[in-house]
Amino acid sequence: MANAAELLDYAARNAQAMPQLRLAEVADGYAVQDELVKRRLERGERLVGYKMGLTSRAKMAQVGVNEVIFGRLTDAMQVPDGAMVDLAQYIHPRVEPEVAFWIEDGEIAAVAPALELIDSRYANFEFTLPDVVADNTSGASFVIGAWQDVPSTVDNLGVLLEINGEVVQVGSTAAILGDPRRAFTDGAELAARYGVTFDGILLAGAATAAVPLPKGAYVKAVVEGLGTASLRS
Amino acid sequence: MNELLGAYATGVPIPPLREHLLPVGDIDAAYAVQKEVTAHWLTQGRRLVGAKIGLTNKAVQSVFGVFQPDFGVLLADMAVNDGDVVDLGRLIQPRVEAEIAFVMGADLPYKEVTAVDVIRATEYLLPSIEIVDSRIINWDISIVDTVADNASSGLFVLGTQPVKLSDVDLRMCGMVLEHMGEPVSVGAGAACLGNPLNAVTWLASTMARMGTPLRAGDVVLSGALGPMVSVTPGARYEARISGLGSVRVGFSDRPAAGTGGTPG
Repeated sequence: MANAAELLDYAARNAQAMPQLRLAEVADGYAVQDELVKRRLERGERLVGYKMGLTSRAKMAQVGVNEVIFGRLTDAMQVPDGAMVDLAQYIHPRVEPEVAFWIEDGEIAAVAPALELIDSRYANFEFTLPDVVADNTSGASFVIGAWQDVPSTVDNLGVLLEINGEVVQVGSTAAILGDPRRAFTDGAELAARYGVTFDGILLAGAATAAVPLPKGAYVKAVVEGLGTASLRS
Repeated sequence: MNELLGAYATGVPIPPLREHLLPVGDIDAAYAVQKEVTAHWLTQGRRLVGAKIGLTNKAVQSVFGVFQPDFGVLLADMAVNDGDVVDLGRLIQPRVEAEIAFVMGADLPYKEVTAVDVIRATEYLLPSIEIVDSRIINWDISIVDTVADNASSGLFVLGTQPVKLSDVDLRMCGMVLEHMGEPVSVGAGAACLGNPLNAVTWLASTMARMGTPLRAGDVVLSGALGPMVSVTPGARYEARISGLGSVRVGFSDRPAAGTGGTPG
């Protein structure tokens, strides 16, 4: 597991794609992810939260599973709202609009629009379920917009992904397990099985398909009633 | 025209009209066929109640190689009540999509209609499920096929709680179409030409130019807010649009196609 984590860590730090690990079990994937995140924390990064993956029916079908997965977020992965990212640090980055929750004492305490930059360390963005879990669910960078009180419902907020002012993806938070709150409840249950308790940031999952991040782009996620989160490349 | 009317009467779809019956890309000729079919329906005593806008999704437009929407007419007997179960024998190869219905409170006779004209003329909005259908085999349609075929109209269902336009974020409103509680199509207002108001503004100008302007009382189905979904026998759909409430429709267990009958 330590060797697999080292390979993934090297791929991420050098922006070099690697072959698939072909791990046997999802549990093996989480064991590798533990090691991978441990390496980051040993370098001085701080754990700031978690992210959910495979929260849409479409993505579950793509990977051929029926369960969500989770990954970890560190402070080094966070990009300030509106800031520039250096494309050289990624292999084949994609962006997707999301909703973020702030988790405190096992409850959703605040909500924010968010933008996630995913970047599989595997060649051609191709992987098995255990392998994507090992790769910290393709997590690379993320942007959180303004935190705010949780509205009475968040289950059908319109979501847009804009690149250079053009709408390239349209969706709804309903794409996230029917209601992003379910990403929290289902995710918390799953995480508990691996001895993890959600606290701080939780990226609830993508509301649209991911889009390749081009150079020189101004990327904006817009969530109905919540506002925006953006980055530049 | 007779080919299309035959398909309605028998429930048996026909080959595409392009090439042998309609020049490829001649949209005016296709609207002339649509107009002729509509006139025939009106002589049967059917009542015109509005219009629907199609091809409002930019990705779909590029598949069709057109850079404008299209429209068809809505007749009173195409309306289905909220929550009703539709007999699949009335349809050939139905699909459903969720959209915003504009109900007009004033005439829009101008050939150059502005967004403000539409805002002022809109009495209220309703959520809707459009049941689209094609009289062309396997939905093998080009722009002229769908225009001649009443923009692939079928039936439509409207919600029942009117909402003021000023109370809805037309661009950002989320949409989810659920089948028995499971999301099968999601989207938002921006999926319809960037904003459903853009679509209605286009329609109002276009219809006025064609000499059939929108009138007070007309219902306008402004265009899909997400991908359309093929109807399965026995299915139950509910569409929810943020700020607009919900609307639902079911379908009979009887399989579609070839069972005949005209709408109504």
